[in-house]
Amino acid sequence: MSQDWLLKVENLSVRFQSRGGDAHAVEGVSFEIQRGETLALVGETGCGKSVTARSILRLVPEPPGKYVAGSIKLNVEGKGVVDILSASTKEVMAIRGERISMIFQDPGKALNPSLTVGSQLAEVFGQHRGEMILESAGIDPSKASRAEKRVAKQRASFVQLRFFHLTRRSKAAALQKSIDDAVARSLADTGIPNPRKIMKSYPHELSGGMKQRVMIAQALACDPDLLIADEPTTALDVTIQARILELIQDMQKRRGMAVLYITHDLSIVREFADRIAVMYAGHIVETGPAQEVLANPQHPYTTGLLGAIPHRRTPRGQLAAIPGSVPHLIDPPDQCHFASRCQWAAEACRGHVPQLHTIQPNRKVACFRFGESESPSVAKADMPIPAEISGEARR
Amino acid sequence: MTTASGSSSLHTVDTDSVVTLNDVKVHYPVKEGALQRVTGHVKAVDGVDLSIARGKTLGLVGESGCGKTTLGRVISGLVAPTGGDIWMDLSAQQQLDVNRLRGVNEGEMTAQDRRIWKDLTLNSRLGSMSGEKQRQYRRNCQVVFQDAFSSLNPRQLVRDIVGRPLRVHEQTSGAELDKKVIELLERVGLGAEHLLRFPHQFSGGQRQRISIARALALNPEFVILDEPTSALDVSVQAQILNLLVELQAEMGLTYLFITHDLGVVQHMADHIAVMYLGQIVEYGPTDQVFDNPLHPYSRVLRDSNPSLEGDRNRDWELSGTVPNPIEPPHGCRLHPRCPVAAAGCGWSVSDVMNTTEENSPVIFETIKTVDRSDDYNAQINFENEGDAQGFLSQLNGSVINEAMHRPPEVRGASVRVSFNEVSDASLEQIQDGRLSSCIRTQERGTLPDLNKSQQDNGKEGQ
Repeated sequence: MSQDWLLKVENLSVRFQSRGGDAHAVEGVSFEIQRGETLALVGETGCGKSVTARSILRLVPEPPGKYVAGSIKLNVEGKGVVDILSASTKEVMAIRGERISMIFQDPGKALNPSLTVGSQLAEVFGQHRGEMILESAGIDPSKASRAEKRVAKQRASFVQLRFFHLTRRSKAAALQKSIDDAVARSLADTGIPNPRKIMKSYPHELSGGMKQRVMIAQALACDPDLLIADEPTTALDVTIQARILELIQDMQKRRGMAVLYITHDLSIVREFADRIAVMYAGHIVETGPAQEVLANPQHPYTTGLLGAIPHRRTPRGQLAAIPGSVPHLIDPPDQCHFASRCQWAAEACRGHVPQLHTIQPNRKVACFRFGESESPSVAKADMPIPAEISGEARR
Repeated sequence: MTTASGSSSLHTVDTDSVVTLNDVKVHYPVKEGALQRVTGHVKAVDGVDLSIARGKTLGLVGESGCGKTTLGRVISGLVAPTGGDIWMDLSAQQQLDVNRLRGVNEGEMTAQDRRIWKDLTLNSRLGSMSGEKQRQYRRNCQVVFQDAFSSLNPRQLVRDIVGRPLRVHEQTSGAELDKKVIELLERVGLGAEHLLRFPHQFSGGQRQRISIARALALNPEFVILDEPTSALDVSVQAQILNLLVELQAEMGLTYLFITHDLGVVQHMADHIAVMYLGQIVEYGPTDQVFDNPLHPYSRVLRDSNPSLEGDRNRDWELSGTVPNPIEPPHGCRLHPRCPVAAAGCGWSVSDVMNTTEENSPVIFETIKTVDRSDDYNAQINFENEGDAQGFLSQLNGSVINEAMHRPPEVRGASVRVSFNEVSDASLEQIQDGRLSSCIRTQERGTLPDLNKSQQDNGKEGQ
């Protein structure tokens, strides 16, 4: 049977060792991404959304990080399923950039300031598309000499490169042209005007929006199946934010890739994501189709987040702020982590961690207000008041 | 409300103002070479007129680099303006006087006017008023900075941070100081238990509360909030915004709310001023500006802000990037990026160069030299006549062509272009209490419609 999912994260737990104990950054997170769909992972600072995203590329430094449990399975077309967490480093290297790539929050920090934009992009092509470069330079990859391969893969040292250029002038020119063409094409794809000029510039010479476009070009150079966008527009202005998001959406449609957005901004989720997963203190607390979740949130935290967004219709000074602050993640107690800030918190919430419970075919919520069947040890009387009647009854 | 001089009436409000700015400029010199010769000026703030009414909240919005933070710093006295005047605590009558007398030479004033003017400059103008008054203004005007991580001294206890203004200005110390600091902390939702802690022991929201407590220590009338919530999460942001509103009601504070977040400003501000490239392009009551923007830039800002309900209208977009603030465009500063730019918006030689470079880099490469006689007239030289013709055909049909004084002509391998000179756009009243600096809006009274061809033109530039 063919599997239609692209990435399946199952019961992922990541902890960080610290002097005070283990910080449970991500606890039992599971989700799936289908081919071509957009999933948004939403949450506030420190909720574990970036750690989840980095785990998918196994970029969490070990130590202090530690993958305690779970698996991250990638369905590679024609090659079967690979578990990224247990794969060898070589296999993971082949996946990074090729199958899954990532764009980071601050393009100013993610690009190398001492290399031109063109040479940074050339590295991607050298790493993953050496054969293509050789072919388009008119060299048969199977017969290419070691020196030619080295140059095509951007691994030649300065002296080796000079030597190659002096001894094999025509081939060197062809290779250089083939690399430049590939780079310019990928830049032009992201709507950068005058890519040949941009290629020669250093990151500091470009504006924030332009740098983010370069990052996108770099991430999409190898036609990945999944693009992870970690707060791609937080560092940008609104007018540029809209254009970058539209660009990602456009590229996604053209190439049929899946996108995983990591963001704290619920308003961009509505427009650009198909599904949404809300994270709080290392757990996913609610998932479902983006429009439905935002229109009719079920978990108290999601409701709180939506109410806290300033809006012209809310009377001034009466934003529904969530009281208190995020709990500490170091060795957390065995309870619902939102209990301390939740207005419906009851006895049951302080004894167990609620599991994701299916309330509609495609919606899941981790809250004791739903799912009586799930925790048999909890007495019905201890349960928090169900959502429908709670609002008025409590006030 | 329009003044006799016909200039913008933005600096007059019919109530008392806490601060009134007249043509305030902050130009930073750009130095180059071994001798550090001044080669130009970055015009961070370039001619801002603004009045902040007592007890109200004025929102100042704009994108990064538009000068909104610099303007906040000028008002708080942290940066000295390189031009223009800042006036404190003017009554409605005094504002009119300032407006009337500002442009008048002192020798030409009547004796009475001279007395009024002298009185104003000695008592209300920052820079020329007495030291005592200056100190009073500093007490009265406090700032909450954007980043509560770097604006609190990591080596001081909360007691010292919040108590510092009290020590300096009121010579309080000992148990009395502690008592006052605890009072302040309680007012912002913290407590006595936080007195002897260091800033790193607090979360982002709590630090911002400490910043607010410090700003309120001297019972100010006017608080400048420079992006107070942009580093915070939504749920904490909501707490801080609620607190700010509560404090305003309790203490009768006046706020200048500087932000780039349109949702926040819509929620918090009574009036907003939209800034672009060092100038205010639109001013008006918040709701009206959002419902019916009178400047293309405000319209684009509003439309590109993703919202939780309704679909965005994506027709209005800016092309290109923010121009260099050392040489801002002539006329209306937005025109090279504006979706509704027309011939009269202030096109000049630099605009032709920039649009050519962005839209048709191949043609741009063929340009050999450009001889400028001034900003509006130039001769562009090419290698051969063919290239010159190519350059002309590229301009054909664009707004730039219409803006020219006479049609560009090819002479050998060079093209002469000459544009009509356009004076710089200024804020003018369009409806009651609403000002815009858009030249086309000023002519029509409403925002121009998006013209199909111009829209395509704008898209090309991306």
